[in-house]
Amino acid sequence: MFKLKSRKSFFKRLLLFIAILGPGIITGSVDNDAGGITTYSVAGAVYGYSLLWTLIPSFIVLVVIQEMNARMGIVTGKGLADLIRENAGVKVTFFIFIGLLIADIGNTTTEFAGVAGSMEVFNVSKYISVPIVAFIVWILVVKGNYKIAERLFLIFSVSLLMYVVSAIMGKPHWGEIGTSIIHPKMEFDGKSLAMIIGLVGTTIAPWMQFYMQSSVIEKGLKMRQYKYTLLDIIVGCIATVVVAFFIIVACASTLHENNIPINEAKDAALALKPLAGKLASEVFAFGLFIASIFSATILPLATAFYVCEAFGFEAGIDKKWEDAREFYVLYTSIIVIGALIILMPNAPLIAISLWSQVVNGILLPVVLVCMILLVNNKKIMGRHVNKPANNIIGWVTVIILIGLSGMLLIMPLIK
Amino acid sequence: MISKTTFFFSRIVGCKVYDGNNSFIGRLVDIAVSTEHLNPDDNEPFRPKVKAILIKKSGKENFFKFSSIYVAKGNGRYMVYCNEPKFIAKKETKENLLLKESILDQQIVDINGRKVVRVNDIRLVTISEGVFAIAVDVGVEGLLRRIGIVKPLKFIFSLIRIHIPAEFILFDDIAAIDHTNLSIKLSKASSKLHTLHPSDLADIIEELGKVSKTTVFSALNEEKAADVLEELEPHEQVHIIENMTLEKAADVLEKMPANEAADLLDELEVEKAEMLLGEMEKESSKEVRELLEYPDKSVGSLMNTEVLSFSENITIDEVLNKLRIQKPDMEVLYNLFVVDKNEKLIATISLRDLVISQPQTPIHEIMKRDPISVYDYDEVDSLAEIISKYNMLAIPVTDKENKLEGMVVIDDVVEDLIGKRRTV
Repeated sequence: MFKLKSRKSFFKRLLLFIAILGPGIITGSVDNDAGGITTYSVAGAVYGYSLLWTLIPSFIVLVVIQEMNARMGIVTGKGLADLIRENAGVKVTFFIFIGLLIADIGNTTTEFAGVAGSMEVFNVSKYISVPIVAFIVWILVVKGNYKIAERLFLIFSVSLLMYVVSAIMGKPHWGEIGTSIIHPKMEFDGKSLAMIIGLVGTTIAPWMQFYMQSSVIEKGLKMRQYKYTLLDIIVGCIATVVVAFFIIVACASTLHENNIPINEAKDAALALKPLAGKLASEVFAFGLFIASIFSATILPLATAFYVCEAFGFEAGIDKKWEDAREFYVLYTSIIVIGALIILMPNAPLIAISLWSQVVNGILLPVVLVCMILLVNNKKIMGRHVNKPANNIIGWVTVIILIGLSGMLLIMPLIK
Repeated sequence: MISKTTFFFSRIVGCKVYDGNNSFIGRLVDIAVSTEHLNPDDNEPFRPKVKAILIKKSGKENFFKFSSIYVAKGNGRYMVYCNEPKFIAKKETKENLLLKESILDQQIVDINGRKVVRVNDIRLVTISEGVFAIAVDVGVEGLLRRIGIVKPLKFIFSLIRIHIPAEFILFDDIAAIDHTNLSIKLSKASSKLHTLHPSDLADIIEELGKVSKTTVFSALNEEKAADVLEELEPHEQVHIIENMTLEKAADVLEKMPANEAADLLDELEVEKAEMLLGEMEKESSKEVRELLEYPDKSVGSLMNTEVLSFSENITIDEVLNKLRIQKPDMEVLYNLFVVDKNEKLIATISLRDLVISQPQTPIHEIMKRDPISVYDYDEVDSLAEIISKYNMLAIPVTDKENKLEGMVVIDDVVEDLIGKRRTV
């Protein structure tokens, strides 16, 4: 007979968790992309340990936001793009997605810059590495199996933990690190403010909200698996923050103490060589390379997908080219534009990454406001609407972000 | 001021509404259209008629019906005029479909294109009988119109001879989900859902949001529902089953082949599966329970227990008569078996031999003895090789005593193989 099984054992629970595992951890890994690594390295090199404290509020906000996305995905089964389109109308959607498209083309460019930079550490010219990587990424998605690629990248992204090695090789001062986290200091000048926004902005990128929600739906998660989903999100966010922490520490304990300023993640890798050894430098570069390819695959794909979802074009890599033309054209263009910009001699890379961060900064509060309104809508969420605590953290985040971004935009005008 | 005969819904949302005496009564929020076919007998395509409008005035939203209504344009602005507006209660519009709430910006099913599309706009027309919705706009043009840049863009593109595509679907050819009372409206179209192939319907259902999925699915009759359920991805099946009443879910499961039903129940929580089995008819649930006992990777978990077997001493005529009475499914008909008194498998009969031989021939003269078969506890992995080696459409499954238990059809083997490739 068909027997009732006994209560779930520990292993059964563990298995359940592993099966559900994914959305949070993948999102967390994509988070530490080339742009992220660059920002963390620069923060460490220029400000030493003093900005480490920002990782704690970032972590809290990250968990709260992703939890809302996961909950919306589970309850409605609809993507964030769908929900925004259905409830906010075409104009708001158009604004958000034009912004998202521009920011993501910028971000993709940064990813290719990461590829170019990291390979230069291994003495490979960008004119070779970038076209090859762009082609591989494109063919992987269009002709290959994306799911396998995603798993593969996930395993590779464990290599981001190499930054721990890199950091320890630099012999950091743990005492100072502790003090700077317990007693946060903040200077209100334009540069450090920009750095803080950069740190928060790179950790909480708008497109990730869309990505998170879609992957929850794709996994077909249920409300009764909510505990595990939450755990997955927390693990993912911890991974993000831990990697960020060690990148900052690695750069702070070497570059900052020797007063070596840097502009790019590649500079960090190169500068590590005389200070912490060749291995530390190569480990740093390899991590950057993997992170860049991972995000260069997911970012254009995700962007093309949400834009099509919002405007009702057919989308998805399981669709044929003629059925989902808009989707493939968009996907291909994002990769081609991103790669071409990098291949231009004297490309204004720093300006591009700065501007895509600014667009991200403007977009993030808009997306967050939409999200909070949606997740509080009883018609959509039923009894799973936000609890007051979620709303408080959510709104405070929005206000702080708007405040910070506003200050950053106004600052150059005052000067 | 020009009275408009055709216009787009997005143009009049938020417009001022006046009554017959030209006095302002509020701003238009939504339009309620009838979902009933005016003259069900004629062959005219179905067009929903505008029955009432939802108007907002000083923060309050009210429904109004009217004796006549028309839309006019003056000074670049659209205005709605309705004669003899009469306040009606919300519940009086229950049978109607709200255009903004349920269609504009929402996903609908395009019956002819067999896919899910998003509505960018709705085209309406005024004729002497009233105002009718005729088509939904799902093209780029509608999108640009909503953003408010269609005219300048059209002009620029016309200079370089690029045409912005407009794409309309007639109301007759869509199925929309009514979000106010969660049902499929446009009754005629919902019956059209049945004309779609189960696999197409499954693809469509997978693309919809959670609520819409359940709504579309529950609009199907049991037979179709069972066919569609079979085609859905496992986690979608679970979602659908969990959102149906126990009774209806059990009815649908009974209509499914026992092996598919068993696979589905295997995905559910044990308690839920038990409840469903209890609700199903004895005969079907017994079959399913037997299948559930087989371990995951065994042939038994994949087999179809619905097989036809005959005794070797009857004639072809008797076999054909039995087939005429039972009217089995195609896959059952193609694979006929011969068993002895103890239900032990001794041979197979091919449909070809059955058809070309004389009616009075006894079965044992045309049957093929010593058929290839597998045990129910064999590994699933062994099946593909056997099937391809012997070019079979199905393999009979027996227990250790050679008693016929069922058969595994090639479809299920292929599905299993594809499933494996996906999970690598």
